[in-house]
Amino acid sequence: MWLDISLIVIILSGIVLLGSSRIGTIIQLFAFQSLVLSSIPLQVDRAGLNWHVLTIAFGTLIVKVFVMPNFLFWAIRHVRLRREAPTILGYGKTMLLGGILVGMAFYISSKLTLPDRYFSRLFIPAAFSIFAIGLLLLVSRVKAITQVIGYLVMENGIFLFSMLLLDKTPFLIEMGILLDIFVAVLVMSIVINNITEDYEDTNTLNLTTLRD
Amino acid sequence: MLLFLILLPFSGGLLAFVLPKNSLRKILLIGVASIHLAAVLGLWSGGMPDNGSGPVFLGLDVLGKLILTVISILFAAVSVYLWGYLKNERACNRIFTGCLLLLLSSMTLVSVSAHMGLLWVALEATTLMSAPLISFERSPQNTEAAWKYVLICSVGIALALLGTIMLAISSGNFKTVFLNDLLNHASVLTPSWLKLSVIFLLVGYGTKMGLAPMHTWKPDAYAQSPAPIGGLLSGALTACPILAILRVVQICNRADLSSFIEPILMVMGVLSLGVAAVFILRQKDFSRMLAYSSVENMGIIALGLGLGQAAYWPSMFHLINNALTKGFMFMLAGNLYQHYRSRDMGQIQGVYAQNALMGVLLVLGFMSLTAIPPSGTFFSEIMILSAAVQSKHYLIAAMFIVFLSVIFIGMAKGALQMFHHGPASKQESSPMVHPVSSMAPILVLGAIILALGLHVPVFLENVLRSTQTSLGGR
Repeated sequence: MWLDISLIVIILSGIVLLGSSRIGTIIQLFAFQSLVLSSIPLQVDRAGLNWHVLTIAFGTLIVKVFVMPNFLFWAIRHVRLRREAPTILGYGKTMLLGGILVGMAFYISSKLTLPDRYFSRLFIPAAFSIFAIGLLLLVSRVKAITQVIGYLVMENGIFLFSMLLLDKTPFLIEMGILLDIFVAVLVMSIVINNITEDYEDTNTLNLTTLRD
Repeated sequence: MLLFLILLPFSGGLLAFVLPKNSLRKILLIGVASIHLAAVLGLWSGGMPDNGSGPVFLGLDVLGKLILTVISILFAAVSVYLWGYLKNERACNRIFTGCLLLLLSSMTLVSVSAHMGLLWVALEATTLMSAPLISFERSPQNTEAAWKYVLICSVGIALALLGTIMLAISSGNFKTVFLNDLLNHASVLTPSWLKLSVIFLLVGYGTKMGLAPMHTWKPDAYAQSPAPIGGLLSGALTACPILAILRVVQICNRADLSSFIEPILMVMGVLSLGVAAVFILRQKDFSRMLAYSSVENMGIIALGLGLGQAAYWPSMFHLINNALTKGFMFMLAGNLYQHYRSRDMGQIQGVYAQNALMGVLLVLGFMSLTAIPPSGTFFSEIMILSAAVQSKHYLIAAMFIVFLSVIFIGMAKGALQMFHHGPASKQESSPMVHPVSSMAPILVLGAIILALGLHVPVFLENVLRSTQTSLGGR
């Protein structure tokens, strides 16, 4: 019950992300989505709470809800224009496309053999949906910072998927993945910082000097 | 021993961040690189590796060992080369050297990991550690290249992570992605999840490898990074995602899905060849031309893997030759850029007239790039072609020949012009001299390339044959 509600909230926050244009709102929406996401490991674990599950939930909370949004705000601290530039598709159409992707996610999931533990019928479709929404956000926006958020939303979808394997994935690997994503955002923030120093904006349409 | 190979460059990298002087860091770099190389070569004296059969995180089979050796040789060559190269760069090299050593550590981890999740973690680490190397010179163009590189590769690798998780889901009852478990129980993997996972893994690791149409970061990243780093990225770093793809091929062959994966690899390979051919023809920048040549060679390797059994060991041989040639050519290019102060092939002219040795080396590298005999690449490309013909893929074979010819014409236009034309002005005819540290690694790599073209040692042939058994599972 609570699990289904959380999953629906996660999908909806993704759709809202697709329609938002203020960079600050986008970062906060991502933080909110990650907050709900970090409660998922506690909800799906039926064997009772153990340190493994607690560490994953707590680590996700710290890294994705507090540290990463702060990095991203740091990277754009000198940028005055904090709205997304007009996109090719427009927000309405992007949201509509997001809805279609969610539908496709449900269709694809219905074709797959379900693994023996899948917690909820919404689980795999939700993971696919979030992944696809992140990818859509990444390709439809032009500001570097929104593209990073798109990447992180994709990563949230992958995180949901990995919950299916919660009992079998080695702890070391999970921490390695979290560390990698953390460093990825760190490196991306530094590059965005450099972009804003060079161009006084994070619009990637400026990055066109290298081409064939 | 394997742990030592990972921890040595790792601790070296951390040490580089705290050392106070540029020169100390350069000594550290060469020291770590040579100990690493010695240790890796020492691994070969221990006979054929045995991986055991249990679930282990670290293990070294013949594929990993071969790729680790290529990485280590190239890294040692580049670290010696950097001794002279960094003298001309006044900037502080703390972050540069530190990240370079951490990159070696993560590349080593890729080649010794026997767990698909660990492999992913290590591969993502290689992307992150190499990004600061690309933006070393810190101009807006460098920032642009680094941004494209980090974003495209991270997204690609994220697809591969999803693929890895699907692989684990497909493994139903044991749910782990230890390589030994996967290979031993390949027949019980759930086909629907496995197929989905293979697609994600191929696209994801293919992005990191630079297969078309996910290659767009490649010319920018290689051209904007310092020339020797371009060599390291295109020679050693691309070998890492290739290893990941070899693992996928291994699993598919064991799971009787080779008829599923082979067409995908063939299409990706031929597409890369086609894209490379189009862009090489009108290329003026030498580094960018080499980058498209890297797209081409990745395509050839993917095509070879897609053609099945008969083309496996030629592909592996091609991988070795390509890695050495790329390192060789980028370092040579570094010397030329420092002399001519330009990367434009129209500006770099009359190399032979200015320095006969550099001219001869340029032609040697050109021959190996375009597979003119006697070079190892000629041999491997002919073997791949004959595998295509024998397996009755006539269309693929025809396209292979056409694209390679176009690429040959494109490169000949650029490289021979550099070799031949006289110096454009008096000012440029100042003598071309390079320090020993900038020539020695080029000469050593050149000698190995030439030797492999003339004669494949029995030892190497045995190793290549055993990679074939290891890949095919028979």
